[in-house]
Amino acid sequence: MARKQPMELFMPPNMLKAKVGGGKGGIDLAAMERAEAAMEELKSEFSDWIAEDVKKLTAARARYAATPDADARANLLRGAHDIKGQAPTYNYPLIARVAASLARMIGELPSTAAIPLSLIDAHVTAIQVIHKNAMKDSGNKTAQTLCAELDARVNEVLAANGP
Amino acid sequence: MLVVDDNVHMRKLVTTILQAFGVLQISEAESGDRAWTVLRETNPDVIVLDWVMEGMSGLDLVQMIRTNPQAPNPFVPVIMLTGHTSLEHVRQARDAGVNEFIAKPVSVKTMMSRLVSVIEQPRPYVRTGVYFGPCRRRRLEDFRGPERRTEKTKQAAAE
Repeated sequence: MARKQPMELFMPPNMLKAKVGGGKGGIDLAAMERAEAAMEELKSEFSDWIAEDVKKLTAARARYAATPDADARANLLRGAHDIKGQAPTYNYPLIARVAASLARMIGELPSTAAIPLSLIDAHVTAIQVIHKNAMKDSGNKTAQTLCAELDARVNEVLAANGP
Repeated sequence: MLVVDDNVHMRKLVTTILQAFGVLQISEAESGDRAWTVLRETNPDVIVLDWVMEGMSGLDLVQMIRTNPQAPNPFVPVIMLTGHTSLEHVRQARDAGVNEFIAKPVSVKTMMSRLVSVIEQPRPYVRTGVYFGPCRRRRLEDFRGPERRTEKTKQAAAE
């Protein structure tokens, strides 16, 4: 029978609660309203932000195409991963979906397996087109078909290189 | 507080929310390496941390904070803010010593909820031979809501 590891369990003093003034605490609705208002003001910058992220991904794709080494691969993954996480905030859910598909392919493929450049290009081009046409409606049928097709191609690549 | 993200827009977004919440002192870092320097200079009360960054990742940084003798406060609450969403990633973050996890996209509501959690319901800390950090089991003794499962079980038994 395996011997249990010694374990020490303790509660550090809650200095943070004292710093914020103690009291009952909990959700501060007024602070949330202020934050929502601040987010609304930021929205005017979102179109520039998504444009910069798409540009960065395009550059990462070019770098990987020129030199498909581990650094370029990691850079491409970071670009896709960033867009996946941030595009919904910028009101581009379709871009987030395509970026998630690209990030999944790069992230789940064994590092020894080459990433098909044609499939990277299909994802990057789709993101560029969605952005250029400002397609923000996640219900867009054409875009949904495209996303499903990309998902299917990624599944094929992952299955071919699976364990 | 310290906000660590290699994406300048995410840093601005998170900082804007925190400022609106009334947080007065906010430092920023664009990499794990830079964050390690900043946190030793400023000793922040809470760290909001991205996972995927060039060089030192968010996970590497959390492990350094918890175990490196040079860390100013190994108990500092860390909120991981990431595009990773799978349960496996949540488990990895938890095993590295992260207190709370936010899956992007970030929202005001979630950010408030996680901050309240680290302030109002801090987890106890655990030290074993292989782990130091917040207890990876959620505390159950603080739950004061209705015991729905118990009621359902009783109901099912009665039927």
